[in-house]
Amino acid sequence: MFRLAIEKTLNHMINANNIDIEHIDNKIISLKVEEIDLSLFFLCMNSRVFVLDKPQNKKIDVSIVMNKAAFLSMLKGSTIEELIEGEEIEINGNIKTAQQLADLLVSSSIDIEDLISQYTGDIVAHQLGRAFRQLKEGSLKNDGSIINNLKDEITTALIAPSRSRFFKRRVSK
Amino acid sequence: MGKTTHFGYKQVDVEKKQSLVKGVFDSVAGKYDLMNDVMSLGVHRLWKNYTIASSNVSNGDQVLDIAGGTGDLTIRYRKKVGSTGKVILSDINNSMLYEGRKNLLNHGVIDVDFVQANAESLPFKDNTFDCVSIAFGLRNVTDKDAALKQMCRVLKKGGTLLILEFSKVENQMLEKAYDFYSFNLIPKFGDFFANDEDSYQYLAESIRKHPNQETLKTMVLDAGFEFCEYHNLTGGIVALHKAIKA
Ligand SMILES: C[S@@+](CC[C@H](N)C(=O)[O-])C[C@H]1O[C@@H](n2cnc3c(N)ncnc32)[C@H](O)[C@@H]1O
Repeated sequence: MFRLAIEKTLNHMINANNIDIEHIDNKIISLKVEEIDLSLFFLCMNSRVFVLDKPQNKKIDVSIVMNKAAFLSMLKGSTIEELIEGEEIEINGNIKTAQQLADLLVSSSIDIEDLISQYTGDIVAHQLGRAFRQLKEGSLKNDGSIINNLKDEITTALIAPSRSRFFKRRVSK
Repeated sequence: MGKTTHFGYKQVDVEKKQSLVKGVFDSVAGKYDLMNDVMSLGVHRLWKNYTIASSNVSNGDQVLDIAGGTGDLTIRYRKKVGSTGKVILSDINNSMLYEGRKNLLNHGVIDVDFVQANAESLPFKDNTFDCVSIAFGLRNVTDKDAALKQMCRVLKKGGTLLILEFSKVENQMLEKAYDFYSFNLIPKFGDFFANDEDSYQYLAESIRKHPNQETLKTMVLDAGFEFCEYHNLTGGIVALHKAIKA
């Protein structure tokens, strides 16, 4: 659910704004945010982004590890270089590629608050979400996509066992 | 008897399975949509919506809906690909294709190609599609490995395969209830609504003979896909496998 929501939002944005992601084509980028136990793998291919749970033994091109403060600050627009200078982020691999992924995340319409609250349910999510929303306001092309995304998410919630009271275990593999 | 395979719980000649499956779908075609709603209590629509949400299909994409039957997924894909995209509904069974055409027309969907084809030998060029999907079809295919290889072949690099299929229920309590429902109620519904208890008995049995989530994932990777993940829906009654050709 969580990964699907990010993947859908990123791809919607890439499509709606005709964003060229050729420069990160065929790359696997791992993003790990400590403290909130968020670990994602981004694979870019065929002009779209896949958000994976595991890299399945494939070589990671760029790995990014940061804490939640750095993640929040990245979403507010801090560049990867600034975060490196402040020693808030660890990068293995090409920094430019890392920045390209960061740009993609920042410019998307992901509701980080909603997504992260599924993981933590704490105040961090709220702070992240608020910061993210402020950033988005005004810059989002509102073409009804949010409503559509919301509809899809509600549908998904209805059938995703990870959200059901009966099947609390996470089942995504 | 030569090489055998399963047809529901029965062992049959490999060569015979296809025509037996054909018999089932010839028989259920007319009532297929009604029965889908009755048997799944309408939830199959949600599973399909989830599949579409996972597909990342968008404007201009080329999509192949294998074993597309009455076209539920095709209708949804058609809306996503826009005027520059293309959707092909393929199925081995003429009666199902006939119902599919009717259903699409009833939904005002006309811009779709129909191709009668066996999933084991797809009549399309290599690297053609952005997305290939098969919903509730794979368990009826005799040589699943061959079919998966074909799906990989016709996908473009970076293309997505989606397999929506009944799978292994995770929770024992739910499994018991589900078994009772499948083997006692579904064939009875089949008898009552479609006057065809045997076909629905086969459908229930074929679900149990289908590979579980992890086995299917291994089969998908062995067929040439680089990435494969699955997501259980409704406690694993159904699983969506999503694979990427790299
Ligand atoms: C249960 S229906 C699913 C129809 C549709 N995809 C849906 O989700 O409602 C299974 C379909 O698989 C088709 N089928 C069975 N064996 C096949 C094969 N070897 N190749 C292609 N289609 C096949 C049947 O004709 C039938 O239409």
